[in-house]
Amino acid sequence: MPTFKIDGREIPFEKGETVIQAAQRAGIDIPHYCWHPGLSVAANCRMCLVEVAPPPGRPALMLNVLSYDPDTGEYVDQQKPKLQPACQQVVAEGMDIRSESSKHVARARAAVQEFLLLNHPVDCPICDQAGECRLQDYWLEHQHEAKRMRDEPVHKPKAQVFGPTIVYDAERCIVCTRCVRFCEEVAQDPVLSVRERGNVNEIVVSPGRELDHPYTLMTEYVCPVGALTAADFRFKARVWFLRSVRSVCQGCATGCNAHLDYDPRNQTVYRHRPRENQQVNRYWMCDEGMLDYQRVHDNRLLEARLATGRVNRGGTPQPESPEAVPVGAALDRAAELLRSADPAKVAVLLSAQHSLEDNFALLDLAQRALWSASAGAGARREPLSASRVFATGRPAGEGDQILRHQDKNPNSAGVAALLAPARPQNFAALSAAIDAGAITHVIALGSDVDPGNVAGDSRIASLGRLQALITLGTWEGPLSRAAHVLLPASSWAESDGQFMNAQGMVQESEQAIQPVGPSRPAWKLAAAIGVRLGLPIPWRTLEELRAAFAGRPQPAEPVSKRSLQPGAVS
Amino acid sequence: METQDLDLERSELELDAEPMFLNVGPAHPAMHGTVRCQMELSGEVIERVDVQVGYLHRGFEKMCERGTWSQVYPYVDRCNYVSPMLNNVGFSQACEKMLGIEVTPRCAYYRIALGELARISDHLTCDGAMAMELGAFTPFLWMIKGREMIWDIMEEETGARLTHSFGRIGGMASPPTEGFKDTARAAVAEILSIIHESEQLLFGNRIFLDRLQGIGKISAEDAISLGWTGPCLRACGVPYDVRKAHPYGRYDEFDFDVPVGSEGDCLDRFVVRLEEIKQSARIIEQALKKLPNSGPINVDDPRVVLPPKQEVYNTIEGTIRHFKVIMEGLKIPAGEVYSYSEGGNGELGFYLVSDGSGTPYRVRIRPPCFLVTSGLERVITGAMVSDVVPCFGSLNMIGGECDR
Repeated sequence: MPTFKIDGREIPFEKGETVIQAAQRAGIDIPHYCWHPGLSVAANCRMCLVEVAPPPGRPALMLNVLSYDPDTGEYVDQQKPKLQPACQQVVAEGMDIRSESSKHVARARAAVQEFLLLNHPVDCPICDQAGECRLQDYWLEHQHEAKRMRDEPVHKPKAQVFGPTIVYDAERCIVCTRCVRFCEEVAQDPVLSVRERGNVNEIVVSPGRELDHPYTLMTEYVCPVGALTAADFRFKARVWFLRSVRSVCQGCATGCNAHLDYDPRNQTVYRHRPRENQQVNRYWMCDEGMLDYQRVHDNRLLEARLATGRVNRGGTPQPESPEAVPVGAALDRAAELLRSADPAKVAVLLSAQHSLEDNFALLDLAQRALWSASAGAGARREPLSASRVFATGRPAGEGDQILRHQDKNPNSAGVAALLAPARPQNFAALSAAIDAGAITHVIALGSDVDPGNVAGDSRIASLGRLQALITLGTWEGPLSRAAHVLLPASSWAESDGQFMNAQGMVQESEQAIQPVGPSRPAWKLAAAIGVRLGLPIPWRTLEELRAAFAGRPQPAEPVSKRSLQPGAVS
Repeated sequence: METQDLDLERSELELDAEPMFLNVGPAHPAMHGTVRCQMELSGEVIERVDVQVGYLHRGFEKMCERGTWSQVYPYVDRCNYVSPMLNNVGFSQACEKMLGIEVTPRCAYYRIALGELARISDHLTCDGAMAMELGAFTPFLWMIKGREMIWDIMEEETGARLTHSFGRIGGMASPPTEGFKDTARAAVAEILSIIHESEQLLFGNRIFLDRLQGIGKISAEDAISLGWTGPCLRACGVPYDVRKAHPYGRYDEFDFDVPVGSEGDCLDRFVVRLEEIKQSARIIEQALKKLPNSGPINVDDPRVVLPPKQEVYNTIEGTIRHFKVIMEGLKIPAGEVYSYSEGGNGELGFYLVSDGSGTPYRVRIRPPCFLVTSGLERVITGAMVSDVVPCFGSLNMIGGECDR
């Protein structure tokens, strides 16, 4: 690999790379605002200026400048080298770049920083970006002096609503055009542009339009300052109180890598941020996914319920007198129902909304329970017949060619692979089997069902014909409403879990907060039912559970957990 | 009348050979702070003693690891709460050593003046309480009156009488007040006359001398092996004073003596403290002469020192600077340091480890009192029960420093 030098250090590079790219790969941070690794080069912020030494034997390109001499109070003629933006300068073999070691670069950075703050409002105390703002970081690192200008700063519109998700503050904007380039290049909807020039320029939305494409929140994410703020996150939390875990977006089968930011003090999740993974989502996420974190706290099932009977009202199953009970009582009832059931008529309904751990635990519980009930101890253990295993999830939705997948479940591929080479059947098949009387008892994971396109309501209604439906659910949904026994399961934010995306990559999502209310991870609930049935459940911890299903989900391609990359934020 | 059933076989003259156990503390008035002495007595002689200091445990060092570097000040205030200013100064010096900052001359002399006032307050408390516990109540009231003058000055300067949290990394919270020099000079003169009167009252008193002289003796070797420093070590004749041995701040510019004892007994420790008050008075007088009336109190380093409030409210640069120092905490370069100064009771050391973030990675304190108190067992073993009080008093255990 050819090399070049930054501050005397040899850095390898690939042909065509720019200085800033090669430096970043080598772990050298060159300050920048407008450059983003996923966007085109604009080179307009001038923060990444570096000095390029002339080739040996050639004179340096120098500029004549007037410099103020504080001792004499006069301006004197001086020379300084012509600096180059590191984001645009393509590296050549043997190039000698001076970044930290050049006093000219240090002066230039301080000057750029002073310039960017000339008209900046005193907004840090009310700005959501404070704490993760480039202006703050770079001021202390590269300038740390007060500006010399004494004039009234230029005033511009504040709190402009750009669309349903984004609020714009023109005074804070440094017009780096990252948001403009993002809309044009990644979202492929050039709805933003720059108006005017000089210190009165600002970002505007195209006339007659709103910023309303499916990737609007990314404009806030790429904004290096507090100009674009997310309506959802505005004034909700201070970022220095938030902690972050590496998570996987639950919004669709793409499985975008995300940071889940939460406040450990009140155990509340506040936002999703994309986490770089070149194989999955590169640097981006869609709005749906960015807001998907809200499900951690919205529409949650936070009690165990027992329903004594049911009536059909208008074709939709309704539980009769559902009653909140302690989780222990619901677990007892679930075990009792499973024990008394005819093993031949019990089915398992897996959920593509839940992790591999939860799904495997439920499947393994059902296999153990039904095998011990039907064959008695000592019989050879057969895998549960695929005719009795079903899987469902949220109904399909809109997709596109950028990130969004039509399948709105994060683990469809994983659930399908659990039974490999056989595949679980869909909800329509379960509905048919219930209607035919072949299935009377169902133990189900999740809350939503995907009834398919035809006769959705009638298929959901067939849940009402069951003698027993045991649901381990996280959110309110058809399965929770139709349940005889309802157990509150935790969401993905409350336990570690693995999910297989549409590409067949198994990705891990880490626990952020403690389980909300009485909810527990579904695999723990499954283990508790197993204990009540007197079954030898060999997985009582997450490690044991993972060891138990190691190698079970057989994806199309070899599974690599290392597809997770540490999120390099730029 | 019924005859008593006396066991005449046991001689009435034979004393019970079982040792007697006596507990003093942890809530005994003579135990300054929560310390417990479990003593095994033979008659009135202490055969064995177990000194237990673990009753005060706040987890001081662990608490320091959760805030910013500046938020450590209230914790060090509460280490030696009799001379908190010395702890403030010691911690500031440790952080400044890591940052490579040298404070302004005004700050340096101000710190010395305030620190020596705190030392006087520490010694007055110790000697006054020691006299009181031996029955001499009058000197106690006089000395506490002297201490009160110092606390009034501290209140005027810092806003708090006891827990000042007045030190800052790179300076002090605020410059000296206008009247500081005058009030300090007046107070020191008054305190010196209090010391003089107390000496006259105590050193002609046979009972007082008998209870201190030759009591609680310890050899210089033993004291060194126990890690003793400060007045207790100097009472054994070892002239180790951090201010002289390893001058910090600007102590090398000052003219003062290190008083030492010869016997290493309770009386020496009492007298060494009285003499140190007189030396501190000399240092304060010199420091007040050197202390400039104007000039910056804080270094001019935006990474470390907060901007003036006017700038914070009116300029974005000031807001950012304030924000970075308060919210993220000032950043101390990754590394470790051991920095030590002369506290009220000996070498006060801070061993700090920084990982480069705004929060201390580790704060280890070497409190002089903890090591001095560890020698209490050796000092009072073989002594009489009545010697416990003067011995304990002369070691001047400060509970907050024994937080282990």
